[in-house]
Amino acid sequence: MAKYEVTKTIDVRGEVCPVPDVETKRALKKMKPGEILEVLIDYPMSKERIPETVKKLGHEVLEIEEVGESEWKIYIKVNG
Amino acid sequence: MGVIEEAFLGIVFGLIFGIILQRGRICFNSAFRDVKLFKDNYLMKFAALVIGLQILTFLFFAQMGWITLNPKPFNWVGNIIGGYLFGMGMVLAGGCASGVTYRSGEGMTTAWFAAIFYGLTAYATKAGVFSGWLKWISKFSVTVEYTEGLYATKSGPTLSSLFNINPWIVGIIFAAILFWYVFGTKTTERSTKLNYKIAAVILAILAPLAWMSSAASGRNYGFGITGGWINLFKGFLTGSSLNWEGWEILGIIIGAMISAKLAGEFKLRMPKKPITYLQVMVGGVLMGLGAVTAGGCNIGHFFTGVPQMAISSLLASLFFILGNWTMAWILFGRE
Repeated sequence: MAKYEVTKTIDVRGEVCPVPDVETKRALKKMKPGEILEVLIDYPMSKERIPETVKKLGHEVLEIEEVGESEWKIYIKVNG
Repeated sequence: MGVIEEAFLGIVFGLIFGIILQRGRICFNSAFRDVKLFKDNYLMKFAALVIGLQILTFLFFAQMGWITLNPKPFNWVGNIIGGYLFGMGMVLAGGCASGVTYRSGEGMTTAWFAAIFYGLTAYATKAGVFSGWLKWISKFSVTVEYTEGLYATKSGPTLSSLFNINPWIVGIIFAAILFWYVFGTKTTERSTKLNYKIAAVILAILAPLAWMSSAASGRNYGFGITGGWINLFKGFLTGSSLNWEGWEILGIIIGAMISAKLAGEFKLRMPKKPITYLQVMVGGVLMGLGAVTAGGCNIGHFFTGVPQMAISSLLASLFFILGNWTMAWILFGRE
């Protein structure tokens, strides 16, 4: 059922700006290349800004999946 | 102008402002912080563009005699201390003055608490328990006498009055520097529903029109947030009638709510750690105290004051940014 083999999940729904971005960055830092991070968000600005920050760090955004009313999951593959 | 027209115009301009803020995800707290924290200049480009354009639209409207510019008094003590407190407060609150206002309409419950404490503390600084502080700060206020028609006779100094150069010349140079930054340097990509350039053009035209309607109601200034929240709380607690700016705040909240609802982005958002509520309340207190001490917030000073080239607004904005960077570094920057 799982789309990706997710290594780690962080749930940052409801957090104030820019906690979702910062938590994503912190989680990615601790992960190894090839692992997949799943980020649960509910703020539209996070959906637009997190992928850009992640790409700049050299990681790959696999998918931004809409999972409910103003809720999304971002799947990020960690690169070396 | 009657009270009905005043309420109607305040609400209508607030509504449009709220829709643009929501669609454009415009938050000055993010604009200041992201350049430092994420090396992301998307919203800073918006800020630079809308200020550059407003320099020109404000001067044009003033030249045509449709508005009288009213730069805020220069108060180096208030601008610096208040600006720094406000800058730190907005990071704790998770949004600037306009940010917490429009996010209240999107269902962000932390923004409600930030906005309430911001408004209450602003009111307390203006007319309540902290008014002695404001009275002391006011001693440092400096205004100048203007003889030419673009500016209100007794208002704050501007770059143009300081150097004694025609405001159009200073304005065009200032705007040109900002446009060079916007179009001449690389912009961080972002897939938004409302591109920052379109948002900036709409707001640069909307702002002087809002000013005209506000001035017609007896309040000679453009968009503002802090005064509006003070007015709302005064109305709520003492039963006084609302002014243009108070209605504008209600318009922003309602506009953002409608806009978010239509886009499927309205949701009651609550953080998992309850301590976040405490953080945003402290942030709100600092914002309220800071904004009134500085003589304005990121809208009154940065968005509306810098385009008038007011020295007060430039100095306060510099300290909004320094306060923002300080608190962002304390909370998120030490890795």
